[in-house]
Amino acid sequence: MVTHENKLIAEIEELKKEFEKTTDKLIKDVKRQDKIMSRSDKRQQQEYDELQKKFLEVEALQREIEDTQKEVVFTMGAIGESRSKETGNHVKRVAQYSKILAHHYGLDEKEAEMLKQASPMHDIGKVAIPDAVLNKPGRFDEEERKIMDTHAQLGYDMLKMSDRPLLKMAATVAYEHHEKWNGKGYPNQLKGEDIHIYGRITALADVFDALGSSRVYKEAWDDERIFKMFKEERGEHFDPQLIDIFFDNLDEFLEVRDSLKDVH
Amino acid sequence: MQNLNIEETKYTPRIELDASNGTISIVGKSYPENTFEFYEPVMKWLEDYFDGNAQAETKINLEIIYFNSSSSKLFFDLFDLLEEANDANTIIINWIYDEENESALEAGEDFQEDFENLTINLISK
Repeated sequence: MVTHENKLIAEIEELKKEFEKTTDKLIKDVKRQDKIMSRSDKRQQQEYDELQKKFLEVEALQREIEDTQKEVVFTMGAIGESRSKETGNHVKRVAQYSKILAHHYGLDEKEAEMLKQASPMHDIGKVAIPDAVLNKPGRFDEEERKIMDTHAQLGYDMLKMSDRPLLKMAATVAYEHHEKWNGKGYPNQLKGEDIHIYGRITALADVFDALGSSRVYKEAWDDERIFKMFKEERGEHFDPQLIDIFFDNLDEFLEVRDSLKDVH
Repeated sequence: MQNLNIEETKYTPRIELDASNGTISIVGKSYPENTFEFYEPVMKWLEDYFDGNAQAETKINLEIIYFNSSSSKLFFDLFDLLEEANDANTIIINWIYDEENESALEAGEDFQEDFENLTINLISK
């Protein structure tokens, strides 16, 4: 009886040892797991902090790139302007008119804003026109007119190599802003919607502003005369849809013209 | 015994298990989607190796640049296996880390702390 009892105790003792071994291992495993988790949490925190930091850096760089692009484009527009007979706020007004037209035509906000920035470069090709022609007082003869007209192609050639969206857009604007809806423009006599919408928009914006501004060689046209001409040129020089947009939203255009008057 | 080589991928390290000269090396990043499945052949190889195929001295170089928490658990399991084999074998473990990589150093220190019987050298490069 005693032996039997002793044997049972011995077995229980054995079980106890096994149990202790197992629980020790379990405790060790749980501790290890906790350690892995806390290390991992710490690491994740550092990684996320690092990511946030990098994101901010990327954003700042992105802004820097965009600002630089805008500045380059604006400066190029100003250079183009300095080589043309347009003066004062012409470039700024054309930019605003272009954005209004783009917006009502249905381009999204980003594209309309880009066009606002790209359209001032429409005359950049004039930097390559010889001074003797460019600065000639009075009317051009046929030969000089031909040289002047190359500024569209020249502007395109200067910008076309770029892969930057804004400069690509500016290349299109420079190339096509003298095309006419009826196919009688230059340099490629494109017709209707074959002319890129950026070109059609800038064409209207540029002409509206040029006609309404006075120059050494000409008086500013009064609005009556401009509107009459626009109606006549609807579907001829200009995209009829853009002319409709122009008249439907005339207030917006006149507001821009008032706020960006040339100071004489 | 066959050697086992696994090429490095975007998520997994280069693994070279050489039975003929007793060197084992795991170098690179370790954050596979299924960590335990990925390391299964490695663990299996090590079990076979220490089951009568080991060289007089086994040198293990671990250089883990980046690891997920499952990998961290896996390395503990790996060290368990090595600790068990340690009585009958001479095993030298080099935990190699970049001195700017704090998590790698901390992991190495954890292993040293948990596996006192193993020879674990922390080597900064």
